[in-house]
Amino acid sequence: MSTALDPAAMSAAIDRLADQIFSAADGQAIDLVGIRSRGDEVAERVFVKLVERGAQARLGVLDISLYRDDYEHLSSNPTLQSSSIDFPVDGSHVVLVDDVIFTGRTIRAALDALFDYGRPSKVDLAVLIDRGHREIPVEPRFVGEHLETDRMDRVDVSLEKIDGKDAVEIITQ
Amino acid sequence: MARKDFLDIVSLDRAEIIHLLDQAVPFKDLFTRSVKKVPALKGKTVLMLFYEPSTRTLSSFEVAAKRLSADVTIFDVPHSSVTKGESVRDTIDTLQAMRADYIVVRHRLSGQPAAIARQTNASVINAGDGAHAHPTQALLDAFTLREVHPELPGRKVVIMGDILHSRVARSTSTILDKLGVEVAFCGPGSLVPRTRFKRFTNYDEAMSWGPDAVYQLRVQKERQDAPFYPSDREYHAVYGITEERLKEISDKGIYVMHPGPVNRGVELCDAVLDYDRCLISQQVENGIATRMAVLFGLKPDLKNEPS
Amino acid sequence: MNLFLQGGEVATEDEAPRRADVWIVDGVIKKVGVSDVPEGARVIDCAGKIVMPGMFDAHVHFREPGQEKKETILDGTEAAINGGITGVVMMPNTSPSVDSPTVVKRVLDQGAKCRIPVLTSACITVDRAGHEMAPIAGLKEAGILMLTDDGDAVPNAALLKRAMEYGKEFDIFFASHCEDPQLCGPRALNEGPVSYRLGIQGTPALAEEICMDRDIRLAHATGATLHIQHVSSAIGMETIRWWRDERGAKVSGEVSPHHLMFADEDIGDYDTHYKMNPPLRTREDNAALLQGLKNGVFRIIATDHAPHTDFEKSQAFVDAPNGITGLDTALVSLHDRFIVTGEFGWDLIVKRYSAEPRRMMRLEVAKVSEGNSADLIVFDPDKETTFTKDFMKSRSSNTPFLDKTLKGSVEMVVLGDEILLER
Repeated sequence: MSTALDPAAMSAAIDRLADQIFSAADGQAIDLVGIRSRGDEVAERVFVKLVERGAQARLGVLDISLYRDDYEHLSSNPTLQSSSIDFPVDGSHVVLVDDVIFTGRTIRAALDALFDYGRPSKVDLAVLIDRGHREIPVEPRFVGEHLETDRMDRVDVSLEKIDGKDAVEIITQ
Repeated sequence: MARKDFLDIVSLDRAEIIHLLDQAVPFKDLFTRSVKKVPALKGKTVLMLFYEPSTRTLSSFEVAAKRLSADVTIFDVPHSSVTKGESVRDTIDTLQAMRADYIVVRHRLSGQPAAIARQTNASVINAGDGAHAHPTQALLDAFTLREVHPELPGRKVVIMGDILHSRVARSTSTILDKLGVEVAFCGPGSLVPRTRFKRFTNYDEAMSWGPDAVYQLRVQKERQDAPFYPSDREYHAVYGITEERLKEISDKGIYVMHPGPVNRGVELCDAVLDYDRCLISQQVENGIATRMAVLFGLKPDLKNEPS
Repeated sequence: MNLFLQGGEVATEDEAPRRADVWIVDGVIKKVGVSDVPEGARVIDCAGKIVMPGMFDAHVHFREPGQEKKETILDGTEAAINGGITGVVMMPNTSPSVDSPTVVKRVLDQGAKCRIPVLTSACITVDRAGHEMAPIAGLKEAGILMLTDDGDAVPNAALLKRAMEYGKEFDIFFASHCEDPQLCGPRALNEGPVSYRLGIQGTPALAEEICMDRDIRLAHATGATLHIQHVSSAIGMETIRWWRDERGAKVSGEVSPHHLMFADEDIGDYDTHYKMNPPLRTREDNAALLQGLKNGVFRIIATDHAPHTDFEKSQAFVDAPNGITGLDTALVSLHDRFIVTGEFGWDLIVKRYSAEPRRMMRLEVAKVSEGNSADLIVFDPDKETTFTKDFMKSRSSNTPFLDKTLKGSVEMVVLGDEILLER
C-alpha cells in the first residue's frame, strides 16, 4: 500500500479543481452536483472555495444507487440514500463532481439520474482523482490529480468528514 | 445477503425493519420529481397473483413496480372461494416456465404465499394471506407512524376491531412491538383473542390507557361464517369512532389510522376522514414507497434451476 | 420350519422382559426358556434383542375401495409387517363406505389375500351420513364387531341413542370419533397461540370433550359398550376415567403415538406432516395422556394410520387432508421416545399394543409361550432405523418421521410357519 496523496496534496488538488471550474465559468452561475458518497464531500469543499472567490454557486447531491448497471452481480442491493437537488435542472449548466473516476460507469449512472430530474443545457465533469482504465467513453473536464494505477489496484479515498482523515491510498493486489 | 422472499414480519429483526423503513425515504422523495421512475428493476418481470380481489393493494404494488421500471403482469387467476390446490400448482408451473423474477401473492388461505415461495426461485411477496400476515401493510403503517412520531419506542397504539380474523392486526402489532411501541388490542370479546398484548373489550378503558394512536380495523364480513357480534349499528356504538368520540380524540391530538377501505358508519363516522390527524391518506401514499423498498431489497434466486 | 431364537429376552404384558430362547417348529412354539440349540434348528441370533408377541393395530385406514392411490389393503398390511404388526382393524370410511354386508365381504376377501389377518369395522349410519342406521344385524352376521362412523362423529344424538339401544341385541360394540360439528371449524389445528400465529381458525379441545361426554352418557344410559378413538385432550381422557371408574360405564379409550409425542407447536411453518384430526394439542396434553397411558386409563394404543399422497399433503395447510401414516413407524418411535427414556417398559407395549387390542376384538391373545401358534417379532433396541420412502412399505409417506433416524429396529416377524420379515 502506498500513500499517493497526503492531506496537503489533497487540499492542493481541491484548490486546483476550484480554480479550473471558476475560470471556466467566466462569471456565470455554477451548479455543482456531488455524487454520493464522497463525491458529495468533494463538491462541498469545492463549493466553499468557489463561494470564497465570489462565484454564484449552488450545490446539490445525487445518490445513484437506483441507476447502477451491476445489480445482477450483487448479493444484496446497495443501501439507498436521499438525493437532493433544490434548483431546477432544466436549462442549467451542471458540474457533476466525484472523488475518483475509474471505468466511467458511475458517471453514466449519474447522467441517467440527473436527466430524470430535468434537461440540463450543459453537463461538465469534475473529479478529484483520475485513475485511468476507462470502460465507457466519458472524460472529465476538470481533474484535481492524475494517478498511474494498475487495473487491479484498489484506490481508497478518505475524506475528513466521512472518514476522519484526508488521504488517497493505492493498494496493489 | 439479501432475502429471496418477503412473507411476514415475524421473521424480520429490528435492524432489518429499520433498514427497510429508511430505504423507503429516498423512494418517497422521488414522488416530487417529474420523472418518478428509476431504472433499478428494468427488464425484470413482476407478476401479480391476486386470488382475492383487491383494488388498493394491487394498484399500489403495480405503481411501485412500474416506478422501478419493472414489467408488470396481472395474472388472471380465479377468484372463486373454491380455488383448490390443483390450480395453484398449475399456476406455479406456468410461472416457473415464464421465469418471473418477482411474484406478489394475495390468497385467502394462510400459508399459501410461503408454499409458493418454497416451490419457485422467484422472489415472493406476501400481499396478504388469510388471517396470517400482511407484511407490506405493516411496513407502511410503521412508516406512517414514524413520520408523525420519529421516536417510536414508548409510544402506545391501540388496534381496534376484529383482531381474530385480521392479518393486519397480526402483522402491524408485530412490527410496532419490534420497534418498541406498546400495543394493545380492543374489540368485542368474541373477536379479541388472548395474546401477549394488553386486551381491552371496552372502548373507554382502552382510551384511558392513553394511546398516541388508534388503529381501527376493517370489519370483515366475508371472513366470518357466523356472526361474532349482533349488528353494525351496535358495533359502531360500542367500538367505532363516533362523532362524540372523535371530539375526545381531537382534543387529545390522538392520531387515527385505518388500513382501508373504510366501512363508513361502522368503524368510523364520516367526520373522521376530515380530521387533520387522520393518517389514512398518508398510509396509502406511503404504501407505494414502502413497496418499492421491499421490491428493491429482495433478490430472486434465478441462478439455479428450480428444484 | 425349525427356528431357534437364541439369546434374547422375551417380553410379556405382565412383567419386564426375561432372558429366554424360543424354539419354533412348523409354526408352533415348542419351547421357551434358556436351553441348548436343538438339532437341525436354524439359529437366529437374538442377543441383546427383545422377542415379543406381534403387535395389533385396531385403527387403520387402508383407503380401499375408492382411494387406492393413497393405499391399498395389501400395501397397508405390508406396512404393518414392516412395523412389527401382525393384525389390524380397518376403518369403514372408504368409497363406498363399509356400511353393508356386501362391502364387508369385499374388503374381507381382499384382506384374506394378505399375509396377516385383516379385520374391519363397519359404519353406524348408512354411508356415514348420520341419517339412517346401517343394517346392524346383517353386519354382525358378516363378521363385524366394531361399529364406528370414524372420520366424523354421529351428529344426531337421538340416532346414536337408538342405534345403541338396537345394537345391544347383537353383541357388537360402538367406537366413537368425537367431534362437535358446530365447534370444529375448518378442522385444521388446535385453537390456541399457534392457530392465532398462523392465522387459521382452530378447533378447541372443547369440541372433542363435549362430544365424548355426550357419547359416554348415551352409552351408559343404554348399556352399550363404547370405545373412544384417538383421544387428544387431557380433560377428555379424564372423562373416560371418571365414567368408567366412578360410574361403571362400559367405556374404553385409545391413544395414538402422535398424540403422546407431538404438540401444535411442532406445526412450525405450516408443516402438514403435523396435521391430523383430532389435532395435536399442547405439551401439557402430551404429558397428561402419557401419564394416563401409564396409569391404565387408555385400554389400547392405535396409530390411526391415515395415508395421503404427497400432492395432497403439499396443499395449503387448511386444504391438505388430515392424517399421518403410522404402521411403519409406530413401534420404533414408541421405543425411541419412551422406552429408551425409561418412561415405560416393554410390558406396557405388549399389553396396550398387542394383548388388549386383541381382547377388545375377541381374538386370542398372542403370547410367546409354549404350545401357542407363533405370532411374534424380534426387536433390536440398539440398531437404528431411518424412515426413508424406500424403507417404508405404505404407499404414502406422510409421516413426521420421514427421513428421520430413530433408535430401534424391527428385525424379524414370524406368523405361523412363515417368516414374514427378516432383515
